[in-house]
Amino acid sequence: MKAKFFIYQPWLTFMARLILGGILVAAGGLKIDNLQKSAMAVRSYEMLPIGVANFLGYALPWIEIGIGLLLVIGVAVGISGLLGALTMFAFIIAISQAWARGLNIDCGCFGGGGKVDPEDTKYLSEIIRDIGLLVLGIYLYYFPKGKFGLDK
Amino acid sequence: MATTSGGDKGTRNLVIGMILFIVVVGVIFSLISSRANSTAAIPATVSEAEGYGIVLNPESSPKIDVYIDYQCPACRIFEIINGGYLNEVIAQKKAKVVFHPMTFIGPESVLAANAAACAADENKFVDMNLALFQNQSESENSGKWSSEYLVALGKSIGINSSNFETCVNDGNYIKWTSNVAAASAKADVNGTPTIFVNGKQLDRNTDYGDQAKFKAALAAGGVK
Repeated sequence: MKAKFFIYQPWLTFMARLILGGILVAAGGLKIDNLQKSAMAVRSYEMLPIGVANFLGYALPWIEIGIGLLLVIGVAVGISGLLGALTMFAFIIAISQAWARGLNIDCGCFGGGGKVDPEDTKYLSEIIRDIGLLVLGIYLYYFPKGKFGLDK
Repeated sequence: MATTSGGDKGTRNLVIGMILFIVVVGVIFSLISSRANSTAAIPATVSEAEGYGIVLNPESSPKIDVYIDYQCPACRIFEIINGGYLNEVIAQKKAKVVFHPMTFIGPESVLAANAAACAADENKFVDMNLALFQNQSESENSGKWSSEYLVALGKSIGINSSNFETCVNDGNYIKWTSNVAAASAKADVNGTPTIFVNGKQLDRNTDYGDQAKFKAALAAGGVK
């Protein structure tokens, strides 16, 4: 069983890198096109002071792209995986508090965001997806060595 | 072997450096492009102190701030339900009304906001505001609102000046729309329409979709 895992582990790491990295690059790339909306999405969570929320709205897309590229190319996989997991953890907290407080917002994960009609919120599926990605990030932190990576 | 692994390490560090560089340059670029630009041309009716909004009846009080995006369907519905009353308030100088045309839905919101600002220079903002909502496209950024279309729309409400045509065609106030966006971000406006009466936000769940409630909310803010 254990031996089998060590055969599959580099491939699992490779898959996890592509999934988490690819999703981060896509999420960041889609936001860069409309930074007004990105800042609006962060403000809508009503968690941070306006100035900080706006800064994060403008900066986060690039940070997502940076972590995503590191993972896809396969450099600094351990630390990038950890950063990816921390990012997902922050998103899960943010979405959960919005849900708990009864805010009606779109997560703005892939562009979009801001206020939506109450029946258009989909907090549960957003949280489940982010938990999945969080697990991939943690896995990469513990098993950074995989196929087709620049890290040796 | 040692040299090979040294080479790998070099490549690795180079890649990390390049990605860091992209992120830092990107963040700086985004921050700069999202800031208000004080050298942008603004219409005569626009006040920097009022969040770069188009100010109607500057001497009146109370103050009503209206944040819209010309491509936003909810804003069109708001205009249908409450636009008539709001325009009456403006015409009778019962309040100072500040319009903030936001542009987060995309390029055609920018073109429409520019055209509305051009119309403000011709003293036709209220009519242009209404005409834009009445001629909103079914889908976002569909290509409907070209410069030619917006010039023709202006003509249809009686704006025949060549200044207006030049203003729309050249996009004289395109940069100003970024200033409105930056000011709206600072004002924590996270959706449209958003209306403030004397700085107090109306309740979007009740006040926008019902004219009686909208009137009552304005009256509570001192609009007589």
